[in-house]
Amino acid sequence: MSLLEVTGLQKIYKGRRGGASVEALKNVNFTVEKGEYVAIMGESGSGKTTLLNILAALDKATAGTVMLDGMNLSTIKDSAIAMFRRDNLGYVFQEFNLLDTFTIEDNIYLPLVLAGKRHQDMSARLAQIAPALGITDLLKKYPYEVSGGQKQRAAVARALITSPKIILADEPTGALDSKSSDELLALFKQVNGMGQTVLMVTHSVKAASHASRVMFIKDGVIFHQIYRGDATDQQMYQKISDTLNLLAQGGEQ
Amino acid sequence: MKIGFYPKMAVSGMRKNGRLYLPYIVACILMVAVFYIMHLLGFSKMLENFQGSGTAREMLKLGTYIMAIFGTLFLFYTQSTLIKGRLKEFGLYNVLGMNRRNLGKIIFFESLISGFISLAGGLLIGIGLSKLAELGFRKMVGLDSSYKFVISGESVLCTVIVYGLIFFLIFLNAVRQVRFARTINLINSDKAGEKPPKANWFVGILGLLLLGSGYVLALKIKQPLSALAVFFAAVILVIIGTYLVLIAGSVLLCRILQKNKSYYYKTNHFVSVSSMAYRMKRNGAGLASICILLTMILVMISSTSALYVNREETLNNQYPRHINLSAGNEGYSDSYGETTGKVMNGINKEVEDYGAKVTNSFSYITCSITGYFEDGKLRLDLDPIKMLDDDPLKNMASIDYDKVTQVFFFDVDDYNRLTGNNESLSSGEILAGVVGKLQFGNELTIGDETFKVAKKIDHRQGNFKHTMKNLVLSTLIVVVDDLGEVATRYNRYVEGSGEKMLEWEWYYAFDTDLDDDKQVILCSQLKEYVRDELYQQQFHAVRCESRVGERQDFVETFGGLFFLGILLSVIFLVSCVLIIYYKQISEGFEDQSRFGIMQKVGMTRENIKKSINSQMLTVFLIPIIFACMHLAAVLPIIHKLLQLFGHNNMPLLLICAGICVAVCGIFYAVIYKLTSNAYYRIVS
Repeated sequence: MSLLEVTGLQKIYKGRRGGASVEALKNVNFTVEKGEYVAIMGESGSGKTTLLNILAALDKATAGTVMLDGMNLSTIKDSAIAMFRRDNLGYVFQEFNLLDTFTIEDNIYLPLVLAGKRHQDMSARLAQIAPALGITDLLKKYPYEVSGGQKQRAAVARALITSPKIILADEPTGALDSKSSDELLALFKQVNGMGQTVLMVTHSVKAASHASRVMFIKDGVIFHQIYRGDATDQQMYQKISDTLNLLAQGGEQ
Repeated sequence: MKIGFYPKMAVSGMRKNGRLYLPYIVACILMVAVFYIMHLLGFSKMLENFQGSGTAREMLKLGTYIMAIFGTLFLFYTQSTLIKGRLKEFGLYNVLGMNRRNLGKIIFFESLISGFISLAGGLLIGIGLSKLAELGFRKMVGLDSSYKFVISGESVLCTVIVYGLIFFLIFLNAVRQVRFARTINLINSDKAGEKPPKANWFVGILGLLLLGSGYVLALKIKQPLSALAVFFAAVILVIIGTYLVLIAGSVLLCRILQKNKSYYYKTNHFVSVSSMAYRMKRNGAGLASICILLTMILVMISSTSALYVNREETLNNQYPRHINLSAGNEGYSDSYGETTGKVMNGINKEVEDYGAKVTNSFSYITCSITGYFEDGKLRLDLDPIKMLDDDPLKNMASIDYDKVTQVFFFDVDDYNRLTGNNESLSSGEILAGVVGKLQFGNELTIGDETFKVAKKIDHRQGNFKHTMKNLVLSTLIVVVDDLGEVATRYNRYVEGSGEKMLEWEWYYAFDTDLDDDKQVILCSQLKEYVRDELYQQQFHAVRCESRVGERQDFVETFGGLFFLGILLSVIFLVSCVLIIYYKQISEGFEDQSRFGIMQKVGMTRENIKKSINSQMLTVFLIPIIFACMHLAAVLPIIHKLLQLFGHNNMPLLLICAGICVAVCGIFYAVIYKLTSNAYYRIVS
């Protein structure tokens, strides 16, 4: 059984007061295996973010099912959703979403504190992941004192610390300069190398070229996908560019 | 651009931010109203007919100044939260092509409009409330009440000037904030990573020092009226100290809590403690405002309710019999006693002529002199009261008010009659008693004379207790074998003004078998009689009062003060509620996005509720605790003030204070709970 199974997913935004409704997702089907690093690409308005929000249980699908490790997201009660998210998902946002009231360390602890973990356990877990993320020196600082790249690494640490089943990343390089982007992408690769499943939504070819599989979404459906196979990042980049060109020209598969 | 453009922008801006602006304007209106009422009561002639109005008015004047200072601090605090929410909007206007001058104009019109609404509304409410109070007051003490609430032009003018100035300062502050910010900072102002405040030891310690010195100063004051300037200084110190301590101290507290890992990293405490630490600077100001208001409420209600509840006892202390007469004279002469002896016979005859009987009577003659008591010796060579009056701040250090002492001389015959004892003394021997904390041994020196203390006595025996009332100073009671002989020796002590220091006093009080109305009639007849007799002989302070006649006056005075206390407290309480509401709402908007992020990270609704509760409990108690501390520091002064009204019931005062604290605490808790629900609705 796959870790994540998405079947017949549909999402319709109802227009207000009888306005036209928009079909953001038509019929999305895909699966993600454990330990995979998947990128979902698409232009603005293609439905990427809607998809990710549904996967993260931040939004509800109109039709279709999302199964994470055998659990059906749509059957989870509203009151249990936050807890489900905390225990199973790690989310990395484009805008970092670190809280400026906390130090970097406390920001990373937040999901564990919410889960009621003891401080010793938390610091032990942080000690495990902090060196790999290169944030050991930043822990006592506040978000406003560190750079965007450092913030995003802290956000990754926050996503990782709960040992989630899957990490969902929404344009994680979107607010970063190219150097920080490279570092972050290397980091995702490293995390993925440790066995962590990652699902990233992006429209950056470079970001996608690090993934082991890239899915293209257009007009609410998965349009095409590319497997890395033995290709290097460079070759992958080329493949993705070609596909995008094809898509932009409106070509068929 | 048309002329009406900026006002239009201002109005629409205020309307769009109604959720923030409305409470702010209501707060302003209330502040103005409170100031007006305080000023009206303190400075106009309205309370002039009040017995004891001097004290009440002095306190109200003081309250007016305090309200002006408090109002400034408080409005600056609320406005700073308000403008923070608007900066983004101004940033957008800036991007769209408005320069700082244009923005300044918008702010100007907003300030003008809100200032005008506040002043007009505040004055209207102030006038309305004072009219309403008049009606309530008349109901309480009867229609023939002589106190009228009027509209005072002077008070209106003063309110407009003071609050106009405050609003102008606030306007300048807002302009400063917009002027010196970069456009990009304006736009991002709401999400700019604001620095969490560092624990500021210096400010915290400074606050503690101010608070402490305010307390010490307040506790040192033994005579509130003569040292009103000192009291005022103490109040200001305490207010500023409270602000500093709460602003810096609360950050410190949060830092300490954060250091305690097993406390901090709990689901309930984690979010609340960190967000408190984050905004404690402003939070502290809000808490301090609440604390000051609570203190004022506690002080007013506990003192006036103690007066009102105790009115019968005060009346009975003040007027121990149905009819009470007294007169005084300067120095000592045997002829004084002879005259009053004749007058007493005359009085008894008048009463008999009226067809009534004198019963349960007592009378005494006493001589008193005031000096400075040191090392078992009463010095008559310095004039401490005058020194304190002239320069209270300078002389407070050198003069201990507890040692300013009044000595009352009694003849042993009077003493035996009043107490029912049978003491006899030889020349140079005395019976000595004391009211206050004075210490003396077997010898007592008063001026140049030294007496041998034969026995120490308790002044609360039998009718002798009636000789000691309205004592504000420490007091020695000296019973001598021959009052005339001893007192004559003190005739030579003369004050700076040339008057003799020794005061002679006669007192006569008795019951009759008449009903209330007739007592009043008899009393007025007697009054005419004794005045005729005694004023001719150079006696002064000639009094003839019936207890029944004074009762109405007591009810009016104390009821009036109580009513005033309630009126002002209600206004303060409403302001307090408003601050708490305002605090919760503005914090709610601030925290909205923060809780949004936390929900994405996995915070449940349950978590949110719990963390709000935890925050509430931590913050909730601080103002109450501080208010109680302030109350405790000010109670001795209240006690002294109440003594001026003839109230000498410390236990009752304490009980009243306790009840006030309890009632206020419960009310405050309910308000806090209700407003925290508003906060919850915003963030979730």
